Amino acid sequence: MGTIDISYLSLGVGLLLSAIPLYYLWKYKTRLVKATAIAIFRMIVQLLLVGVYMKYLFAWDNPWINALWVIIMVLVASHTAVTRTNLKANLLFIPISIGFLFGAISIGFFFLQLVLRIDNVFQAQYFIPILGTLMGNMLSSNVIALNTYYQGLFREQQLYYYLLGNGASFSEARAPFISQALVKAFSPLIANMAVMGLVALPGTMIGQILGGSSPNVAIKYQMMIIIINFAASMLSLIITIKLSSKHTFDDFGVLKPVFKN
Amino acid sequence: MTKPILHIIDASIAYGKTTLFTNLNIELHPSNMYCIVGESGQGKTSLLKSILGFIPLKEGSIHILGVELSKSNIHKTRRYSSWIPQELYLPEEWVKDMIAVPFKLQENKHIHFSEDRLKAYLTALGLDHNILMRRVTEISGGQRQRLMIAITAMLDKPLMIIDEPTSALDPHAISLVIHFLKELNKQGVAILAVSHDRIFAANCDKRIYL
Repeated sequence: MGTIDISYLSLGVGLLLSAIPLYYLWKYKTRLVKATAIAIFRMIVQLLLVGVYMKYLFAWDNPWINALWVIIMVLVASHTAVTRTNLKANLLFIPISIGFLFGAISIGFFFLQLVLRIDNVFQAQYFIPILGTLMGNMLSSNVIALNTYYQGLFREQQLYYYLLGNGASFSEARAPFISQALVKAFSPLIANMAVMGLVALPGTMIGQILGGSSPNVAIKYQMMIIIINFAASMLSLIITIKLSSKHTFDDFGVLKPVFKN
Repeated sequence: MTKPILHIIDASIAYGKTTLFTNLNIELHPSNMYCIVGESGQGKTSLLKSILGFIPLKEGSIHILGVELSKSNIHKTRRYSSWIPQELYLPEEWVKDMIAVPFKLQENKHIHFSEDRLKAYLTALGLDHNILMRRVTEISGGQRQRLMIAITAMLDKPLMIIDEPTSALDPHAISLVIHFLKELNKQGVAILAVSHDRIFAANCDKRIYL
């Protein structure tokens, strides 16, 4: 059972559906029309390019090129995270990059080596998509969590300093803010997991079924994709917060100005 | 002469080019209650925050029980003090959870939490014991202020630092707070407060003008 290809003409017909959200964004004066149009355009161009270079990545299947590709993804994702959180790049870029790299490599290799048991973990067909999905999920959760964490510390300074002033260690005083960040970043994922398969059929599973896999294989991949994304996002976030603390707090535990402007 | 609990030597604080005060010297001994007074913006709260290591001194030094406040000693000096900021809002929903916050910290876990002692403190501060069963949003600013004083007193630290302890209180409650803090003084606790309240300031052993 193969996948039915979508011709470029049909793709164009399908993309016409984006007129519906664009119309309502325009009608209700959301000022998001331009941003949405640009985002759709970027998505089309980026995915067309991904299609082209993935073809070559798969054809070459060179571990060094694949590793280099992951490093480029880490750098782009870190830059995007810093930009979206409005945090100072000189304080956060390196901690975020290390968090992403460690989260992707450790969890990705665990899955490829111990679960899929493939001989060559750098094999492009598995290595690139798995590390790519991890990177995308780590980016989303890190942006939400880092924003919540530093905004919380900034907004509720009184609580932070109250804890420090009454004997809390640095990590104890920061713990409530890390907790808030984790709740905000992971609640949607936890809620999604709870209804998975009942309310919605998730992307990986749909993709695999459309690609010709049996539902039995598809659900196993789906479970693993959810869990590795959860684990990598958590791991990268904790590493980022721990590493960034060395740069974002002074020796007395006082929060430095971390936001741009 | 006993060793001062708090010793501030030739301290000055500045924000950029604006100097708040210079050459401040304070020696606070056990059983002393001093009040920092002065106009707004003179650096009263900044001084308290400096003692806790939140704002650096421009010049001078701060010693708590003989230990100089520095980046290597900060955990040690904070261990000796308790701190009540002005108008503190903790995120807990229930008063009983709010009370538990400082006692959950590793540094304070050895402190025996006695509900009888807490109730005695609440009575001394004019608070009904039922307050313990209420939501934080159901209590007034004045009740919260006295509750924080009671909780902080239970931490048994040699130095208590309080920012505006009576700002939300009526005259009767102010007199209860003064009496309560004097009783703590008798037990050897040194208290340094910032206050705009003349009655409170007049009842302190010394007023330090900034």
